Amino acid sequence: MKITEDLCIVEGYPVLFIKSMNALVCSDLHLGYEGVMAEKGNFIPKVNLKNIKRILTHAVNETKADRLIIDGDIKNEFSKVHIEEFKELRELVDYLKSELELGRITLIKGNHDNFVDRVKNRIGIETFSCEMLENSRLFFHGDGMPREKLYKLIVMGHLHPAITLYNKVGVKEKLHCFLYGKTKKGQEAIVLPAMNYFAEGVGVNTQDVSDIVPFFRSFIDINNMRALCLGEREIMDFGVIGNLRAAAGP
Amino acid sequence: MIEYIKEPYSKEESLGRLNIFVRKWFESKYKELTPPQKYALKLISDNKSVLITAPTGSGKTFSAFTSILSDLMNLAFSGKLEEKVYCIYVSPLRALNNDIYQNLIAPIDEIYSDITIPIKKISVGIRTGDTTAKVRQQHIKHPPNILVTTPESLAIIINSERFLQNLGSVKYVIIDELHELANNKRGVHLSLSIERLEDLIGHGFVRIGLGATLSPLDNAARFLVGYSKDTERDCYIIDATWEKRMDFTAICPVRDIINAKDSRIEDSIYQMINRIIKENRTTIVFTNTRSGTERVVYNLTKKFGYNEDIAAHHGSLSREMRLGVEDMLKKGKLKCAVSSTSLELGIDIGTIDNVVQLGSPKSVSRVVQRIGRSGHSFNDVAKGEVIVTNRDDLIECSVMLDAAMRRRLDSFTTPKNALDVLSQHIVGMSQTKKWDIDSAFDLVRRTYAYRTLPKEDFISVLRYLSGEYVELENRRVYAKIVYDEKNGKFYGKGSSRLIYFLNLGTIPDEVSINVMAPGNKWIGSIQEEFLTRLKPGDIFVLGGKPYRFEYSRIMTCHVTEAPGQIPTIPPWFSEQLPLTYELAIEIGKFRESFDTEVRSSELIKNNSGYRQVFTRKNWKGSILERMPMDDNSRNSAFNYFAEQILFANFVPNHKAMLIEKVFDEEGKRNLIIFHSLYGRRINDAISRIFAITISDKYGADVSINVGDIGFVLATGADLKLKKSDIESIIGSFEGIDAAELLKNNIRRTEMMKRRFRYCAARSFMVLRNYVGYKISVRKQQVSSQLMLKAVEEIGGDFPILKETYREILEDIMDLPRAGTIIKSLISKDIVYKIIDTPVPSPFSHMMMTFGEADVIMMHDRRRHLRELHKEVMKRIRGVKK
Repeated sequence: MKITEDLCIVEGYPVLFIKSMNALVCSDLHLGYEGVMAEKGNFIPKVNLKNIKRILTHAVNETKADRLIIDGDIKNEFSKVHIEEFKELRELVDYLKSELELGRITLIKGNHDNFVDRVKNRIGIETFSCEMLENSRLFFHGDGMPREKLYKLIVMGHLHPAITLYNKVGVKEKLHCFLYGKTKKGQEAIVLPAMNYFAEGVGVNTQDVSDIVPFFRSFIDINNMRALCLGEREIMDFGVIGNLRAAAGP
Repeated sequence: MIEYIKEPYSKEESLGRLNIFVRKWFESKYKELTPPQKYALKLISDNKSVLITAPTGSGKTFSAFTSILSDLMNLAFSGKLEEKVYCIYVSPLRALNNDIYQNLIAPIDEIYSDITIPIKKISVGIRTGDTTAKVRQQHIKHPPNILVTTPESLAIIINSERFLQNLGSVKYVIIDELHELANNKRGVHLSLSIERLEDLIGHGFVRIGLGATLSPLDNAARFLVGYSKDTERDCYIIDATWEKRMDFTAICPVRDIINAKDSRIEDSIYQMINRIIKENRTTIVFTNTRSGTERVVYNLTKKFGYNEDIAAHHGSLSREMRLGVEDMLKKGKLKCAVSSTSLELGIDIGTIDNVVQLGSPKSVSRVVQRIGRSGHSFNDVAKGEVIVTNRDDLIECSVMLDAAMRRRLDSFTTPKNALDVLSQHIVGMSQTKKWDIDSAFDLVRRTYAYRTLPKEDFISVLRYLSGEYVELENRRVYAKIVYDEKNGKFYGKGSSRLIYFLNLGTIPDEVSINVMAPGNKWIGSIQEEFLTRLKPGDIFVLGGKPYRFEYSRIMTCHVTEAPGQIPTIPPWFSEQLPLTYELAIEIGKFRESFDTEVRSSELIKNNSGYRQVFTRKNWKGSILERMPMDDNSRNSAFNYFAEQILFANFVPNHKAMLIEKVFDEEGKRNLIIFHSLYGRRINDAISRIFAITISDKYGADVSINVGDIGFVLATGADLKLKKSDIESIIGSFEGIDAAELLKNNIRRTEMMKRRFRYCAARSFMVLRNYVGYKISVRKQQVSSQLMLKAVEEIGGDFPILKETYREILEDIMDLPRAGTIIKSLISKDIVYKIIDTPVPSPFSHMMMTFGEADVIMMHDRRRHLRELHKEVMKRIRGVKK
């Protein structure tokens, strides 16, 4: 789905394509999630990595991109180096480079990405702490506040945005979505949905998000953001959050 | 072989075998043997396994313990009574254990008070979840001769090497309240523990089952004793249920329950309870839910100024509070205790004069058991009243009491081959030794619940637990046991030891949320899961009254009263047990014959549709005359039927289904109401078969509200089915395999998600506790919803998925009977009539209010989402205008 001349969503997938950079952007992979859960005694089948590979393969085939920017939270555990995570991280990067022939992989470090620096050279990715500015585009994970003020486009993750809806017979549904709109200063802003298989999503039309993404507190009115939802093999435009909120009222 | 004992043994046969001091004590204490004792004493003395069913207060417990005490006394006299456990007594209730403890210690003291020579004293110990570490240590060093415990603690004990050393001499195992165990996974879990115990100590023991009545008793006996390699083990059945006489009536709080205002009915109910309390020395009031219990206590206190002399007793209360209430009852200090289920079990609470049951307890056995709590002794008549709370309740309770008079009991089933409970025990077993797969399989198959377990299923559990369902490299972290397929062995992993101890058990965790009205008025509680379904403005019923959901905060849900509104969301999980099939059919038969009677009544014949309330004083010749109900009940029943006849000219029964089509103006939905009088377990299946078919045929989401006497399907405002549509849907059932259809589509229901979470927790797939911290239900839930999706990628033979399907199709639903009813609909053995009604007919009002909800989602997800999108955008445009 084309958002602007330069921005486009890979139809039905949580991946953004920036034409002029020939780059895919995605966020919140949380690799190693199942392994970490398993260490706590839970049996969760491994599907996240497989699913991410499948999505990115499709995205590369569709766009012929040669670069991937991961906008934070590539791995799951906050505090320590976890063997499962690095095994998966390495497997993913190897796959992206050899099978998908992505020449450049950039990671904006998120709040879960401590310790990635230790292995970045070994596996061959470049990392940025919290944010990266490139051609007036700011890639920023979303926790804390960006230092950079001069940009035309800001791309964020972290929030795991979704919208909560009720169908005709009253059943609740959550749909993961991109949020697209403008900051109060008129810059373009886009929030990426989580790519993690197990992410539940935060219902942005039903709850306050400014605690999760401080940036929203003063720089973006979420009511003016458009929800572009991941449907089944397609993107569905639900319009701006403000209208969704108004329509849900009693 | 299972054998019923019909002839009691003589006094001499019963007592002659007893140790002389035990006999002397027994005879000084009891003038005569109670019925269960006349059968049981000799049999247990002969080391026979027995199943004893009898009402509370029938000396049931002593019929089991007397012979055992005698045996232990003989040992003591010959100097052979050692510091070992000889008898294990297992009860599902912790409170009960305390009670038995008191009831064993006192008699032992009394017996010993007569003995002058120094002999060793029989010791009694209690081990439950509440037992302190210090006492547990003492038990290991100085094991009690009689160990009182719970199913969960037993499962821990058999995995404790040090404790096990003391169990080698176990000769008797008593299971109390067997009727509370034989029909659920908790009981299945216990039966595996007992079989494992037998294997661990290398010899069998006398098994004694005690309980209120249940039917069929043969299967209860099989559940108790299990099988030896080729045949079922011997067990004698003693059924003394009906030896106590009972006197009970269904009473209706107002003369006309159909037209009376809710507030008036409620007021009258409390007046009645108050009068009964005043007339008797001690009364127990049973409600069907815990929140109901709280409400009754609250209202009685508020309305009539009761204070210290009335108290609640239910499972959510602390142990101290429960013990306090029991103690006050025993001392006669309480006028009234209000309870949900906890007091129906055999706790000794002294003398109760009268039992009040508020609303239908849903089963004949249960009502018999509850009312059986009253009366001074076995020879007394048990007295009780069932106060009905609404019109369907009225019919249900009257028919239930009538069935009880005629001794028509409903039947139970034991969950079979439950793979989640099996997983727990395999982890437990792996911790005790290296197992040969065949001998482990044989052990499991010796229980009634796993008699027919297929070998493949057993192997699939081993494969799951050893992590074989994930890629090789990850097995280390996933595995909970080591499975050596080549040599046919399995054994334990050190890290699983704690997992077993911290997570065993079968009762699912639920978080309850307090519901508050303005002014911080507590209304009751709902489950967290239900709260997540609510959106502001939704109307739901709690404690019989509708409320509007406003907003929620952590652990509280804020509502306002919404009198007279039709609920938009029925509960997603019913606290109530389902009405049994047998009772549902009895109600059907009653409806059929009473329909004929009401139609032929002069009162109706002369009425041309004009509504009036009929009052009849004389019930001579009516079928209601012989039924245990008061005149208010009779009048209300008459009016209820008259109204239905005048409105719809059709009273549905078990052989005649009424299908009503009606548009719900408020909710903007089309409703199809099926008066399907077969109980919720069957309606659970039938309703979903209909909903799946409609959803697939018309590409729509269909919501379901299932109750005991029918179900309601709802479709959006744009999908209105015609009479011929419904006929052709029923026609299309010809030749379908109902089980296959449900199995293939159950994934589209909400029920699947919830049940999967339970099964995942029971099979240690998701842990409730892990080394020191408790994992919140919220967290479990988040992961298990998505986990279900992930697990499906593994495939259908994954044992936990298979178990979830099995639990739904076999335990929750009654598929075989549902299949029969579908067939009868096609063949017209069950006739049906489809009508359009402007508003739901009288017989459907309660059905719309109570019941359990679910939804069948459209099969085509893409189409479903597009519909949803269209709908939301339409709503937004509406708001903008």
